[in-house]
Amino acid sequence: MASLATDLSALVGPAHVITRASALLAYESDALPGYRKRPSLAVFPGTRDELIAVLRRLAQDGVPFVARGAGTGLSGGALADGAVLLGLHRLKRILAVDVAARTATVEPGVVNATLSRAVAAHGLHYAPDPSSQSACTLGGNLAENAGGPHCLKAGVTLTHMLRATVVLPEGEIVTLDRGDDGGYDLLGAFTGSEGCFGVAVDLTVRLLPDPERVITLLADFETVRAAAQATSGIIAAGILPAALELMDQATIRAVEESIYAAGYPIDAAAVLLIELDGAAAGLDADAAAVDRLVREAGARSVRSATDPAARAKLWQGRKKAFGAMGRVSPHLVVQDAVVPRTKLAQLLEEIAAIGARHRVRVCNVFHAGDGNLHPNIPYDADDPDEAGRVHAAMAEIMARCIAVGGTITGEHGVGLDKLPYMEALFTAETLDAMCTLRDVFDPRRRANPGKVVPVRACREWLGAVSARVAGAQA
Amino acid sequence: MSAQTMAHCALPGSPLEQAKSGIDACVHCGFCLPACPTYLALEDENDSPRGRLVLMRAMLEGRVAPDDADATRHLDRCLGCRACETACPSGVPYGAVLEAARETIAAHRPLPWMARAVLAVFAHEWLLRPALLLARALRESGLARLSTRLLPPRLAMPAAMLASTSRPPAEPWVPRHQHTGGTATLLSGCVMEGLFPELNRATERVLTVNGYRMHATEGQVCCGALHAHAGDADTARELAKTNIAAFEASGAEVVVMNSAGCGAMCRSYGHLLASDRRWARRAAAFSARVQDVHALLAAAGPRPTPRASDPEAVAWDAPCHLEHGQRITAPPLQVLEATGSVTARPLPASDQCCGSAGIFNLVQPEVAARVLAPKLKEIAQAGVRTVTTANPGCLMQIGGGLLLSGSQVITRHPVELLDAAYAQDPTTR
Repeated sequence: MASLATDLSALVGPAHVITRASALLAYESDALPGYRKRPSLAVFPGTRDELIAVLRRLAQDGVPFVARGAGTGLSGGALADGAVLLGLHRLKRILAVDVAARTATVEPGVVNATLSRAVAAHGLHYAPDPSSQSACTLGGNLAENAGGPHCLKAGVTLTHMLRATVVLPEGEIVTLDRGDDGGYDLLGAFTGSEGCFGVAVDLTVRLLPDPERVITLLADFETVRAAAQATSGIIAAGILPAALELMDQATIRAVEESIYAAGYPIDAAAVLLIELDGAAAGLDADAAAVDRLVREAGARSVRSATDPAARAKLWQGRKKAFGAMGRVSPHLVVQDAVVPRTKLAQLLEEIAAIGARHRVRVCNVFHAGDGNLHPNIPYDADDPDEAGRVHAAMAEIMARCIAVGGTITGEHGVGLDKLPYMEALFTAETLDAMCTLRDVFDPRRRANPGKVVPVRACREWLGAVSARVAGAQA
Repeated sequence: MSAQTMAHCALPGSPLEQAKSGIDACVHCGFCLPACPTYLALEDENDSPRGRLVLMRAMLEGRVAPDDADATRHLDRCLGCRACETACPSGVPYGAVLEAARETIAAHRPLPWMARAVLAVFAHEWLLRPALLLARALRESGLARLSTRLLPPRLAMPAAMLASTSRPPAEPWVPRHQHTGGTATLLSGCVMEGLFPELNRATERVLTVNGYRMHATEGQVCCGALHAHAGDADTARELAKTNIAAFEASGAEVVVMNSAGCGAMCRSYGHLLASDRRWARRAAAFSARVQDVHALLAAAGPRPTPRASDPEAVAWDAPCHLEHGQRITAPPLQVLEATGSVTARPLPASDQCCGSAGIFNLVQPEVAARVLAPKLKEIAQAGVRTVTTANPGCLMQIGGGLLLSGSQVITRHPVELLDAAYAQDPTTR
């Protein structure tokens, strides 16, 4: 490792290679700090050429590595267990903006919200808006196929990816696109591969024109069931909101106690945040229809905001809800399951029952419009009894989501946190096929090892590991 | 999930242990990263709030020693600007946690000699007075400005900072007073009274015009902010007690601050002395009387001056301890709005630190320069001749940086501009 560190220092400068144990602590976690894994060292290239040189140097020794953006992930996906942690946050240049074509080419470390701000003067924006958009990077968004409230109508990250220049783990540089000119959609395969297929050195994304008009509605309900049914009702009526978010009472209270208080009614069992956007013509009619639908479903009141400041305030609480839960308890587990929208009301009641049975406090804040649940449980990890109950409750919740035809992740990725659920969801043959696809990109399985596909489920994995250990010892 | 469990505290009874609940509030979301000037400049998470909180927690857990040279380097490099508090959804009281960490570290590792020397000067009137006298002599003689061209960069910046505090001589004027507000007294401040005495007089005149009767307060000393930020909490507490006693004797209702850093400090005396049985209540009562000059003026109107036919465009750069430390954002712009001779616009990254941060620019000159660089670039792009800000450290850091870069742009306090406008207005003099 000493000679590797020396070589990497020569490539990127000694200030950007970290080997000291105390300085590696900060890189042991992402935004799910219940998991900690110690990298062997951390390296932060500052230019495209440095990144390529670093990856080739790692390939030379066959060293495993984990790419990391801002460390805002919620699945333990960017944790490097003894591997080299490759931080991409210094690659933060916006390389080109083509206003006429409505595209931008960026380095992977550009922060999501920074891109939208940079193109705002042209009346454009980058649509996928994860709640961490003020901090998360576009490279990380690509790796996780990130979602966000506005992905209900605009589509998730993949919809907005046009092209990526990728360094494969063995050092080869390839350009991946959507296969629009014929050929396979290799960018589709790469997007959401959670850092297991290679590292993007630049990505070209689609920019959307800002909508002509936006209306944000806040509806509050006396029961969670009514709010969930209202969600289904809106979609069933053929209205596709830009965003359709649900927050339950526990979440509302956490938000209202934080500095991001948005004026949500704290006595409501749930609120729906519904945003409609598009051409000005017809939007008021849609808003009136939504107003009627939610009232029919039992909404106590409906508030509407059209000016940017009032809308931003309504959104602020939603976007910062996860952090606001930090006020409730010292630790937090965050889940990310997707269920059929029609099953939402039933599932939310079951989740409440599971929480009560295990005596844990489940806070729900999620993308109701696409059935993407985020049951979060604030707790104190210093209390082993409570921690045990939290994990038992989460396992039950996930099992119920799978049982009603759902899946285990909508946007956070599998990473480390959801590995145990993969075998419940996929057959051994399917998991093997995933490993086979991965081998095309990363034959030595050095990129983000131990993530996404459980080691024991992949028949070829154990063979590869023993070969590598033998090689290292030789 | 047991990873965050902390069975034993390695630093029992330390200020850091008392701040543990503040550290626990961090959920590791990373929203603080883009708000942190040192993370943006140094590009290492150990130089970010999230990374520094990890180091502090590791000290409590015994995984890192409180005098570990690498870990303390990252904590030393924190500006204490508290921009992360504005970005934090979990309400981590980062400024207070940082001061607790620095106080704890100082018990295990002495402060650097430069820091100790500067803090000693500010803590003792008999050292401070001659030091400021010497500084004024260097400034008035033109030596400070001249030496910016002769000295190596490490010394040229302090000389430039000093040179930038120079003001063309102005006629003192007598404001017309109509007693409508309450009574107020000014914390004259050490650097403010030493290097910006005209600004203190301007503050008194502007408040007089806006209806306040000004009282003088004898026996006041440095507010102790520099000491508290650097980890010398004991000295900070002693200075705080001296000030509390002095201002109790003054009798004025409001204690006015024209320096953002002193204001944030004085408003936190209640917290600083909370566990001192004899002083806790007096400190809290004092803190409740403290008001920032802009907030006070905004509450009073402030009285506007006639709009000039061609007002000068000026930039506003928010001091961190006003914007983040006290969450006062609109009032300085309202003060500038009332100043008919100017039109003010905040710099695009007005909420980002300039790198001054108390004595930070003296003890961490390289980092301070890197934090200042984007600010100077924005000022150049703003196309103004004057930048306004409201803290002596920021006035000097930005002013010194501008001077060294060969820029003609000058720095002023909003109250100075309003005072100059009142001086020209026959209805206020």
